[in-house]
Amino acid sequence: MSKKILVVDDSKTALMMEREILEKRTTYQCVTASDGQEAVEKAQQERPDLILMDVVMPRMNGFEACKMMRQQSSTREIPIVLVTTRGEESYMEAGFQSGCNDYITKPVNGAELVALLQSYLGE
Amino acid sequence: MKSDKNDAFGVKPSATDPMNDLRLAAARERLAESRDQEDAIDGLREIVANFLGSEEIGLFRVDRSTSTFQVFWSFGIDLEKYDLLRALGDVGLQRVMRGECHVELGARDSLGAMAKAQAFVPIRLTGQTIAILAILRLLPQKLAFDKSDMELFKLLSDEAAQPLFGLSAYSKPAAEGSGMSV
Repeated sequence: MSKKILVVDDSKTALMMEREILEKRTTYQCVTASDGQEAVEKAQQERPDLILMDVVMPRMNGFEACKMMRQQSSTREIPIVLVTTRGEESYMEAGFQSGCNDYITKPVNGAELVALLQSYLGE
Repeated sequence: MKSDKNDAFGVKPSATDPMNDLRLAAARERLAESRDQEDAIDGLREIVANFLGSEEIGLFRVDRSTSTFQVFWSFGIDLEKYDLLRALGDVGLQRVMRGECHVELGARDSLGAMAKAQAFVPIRLTGQTIAILAILRLLPQKLAFDKSDMELFKLLSDEAAQPLFGLSAYSKPAAEGSGMSV
């Protein structure tokens, strides 16, 4: 059974790209959400094996969603990789404090993304 | 990319890079799926931010009837205070108007830091430059433009005009600004 990844981004372009990479370069199954609140709901429903989530989003940002998922028993252990344009150390520190496992910056390098996901999920 | 070469943009398609093909496909799909002009502008901003690594972007509309260009839209920078003509120079502006992309790749200084990289991309419709997309600063983690970026510039040049301007492509901009000579 293929591993499932929840991809979260309010940008349709980023979602398209990440979905394309996952579908064409991996065997992972992909589900999507377009903001943090929807991500929290989808994470509970879908129980993904990993969450790949943008930070700056409407309604609920990635940091808030990450914190919320860490407080819920059903989503506490799911690896979360945050994706953002902001690469400053302080910003990344805030990401780790919110409970994320890893952090990558945009523009996303497809090969690096696949390698990172495989390091968590296997091939 | 389908074409064998792209002289105006100075690169050949990187047919061997499947990740770049995915990026181009996603950009093309996003532009083609734009519901209206506002959504197309959102798409353009998303493509530049997510794929090219810049959050300082401007779009200048060319008004051929008055040989001027005006700020059409900007993100992350106040283009009303920005002198496009000075940034591009006469020669650079003429190149872009002819349909060539003007790219300053950025170069490493003696300390290893990258100098400012910027790009000016002609947005073309039926062989005419109807707008100029200015990408003015890269995110810190994006060191410079590369060859795959040139392919994306080419795609934007060829395919962004219709979703951005549609049937109004040849009309005057709604807001007549203090245009500069083209």
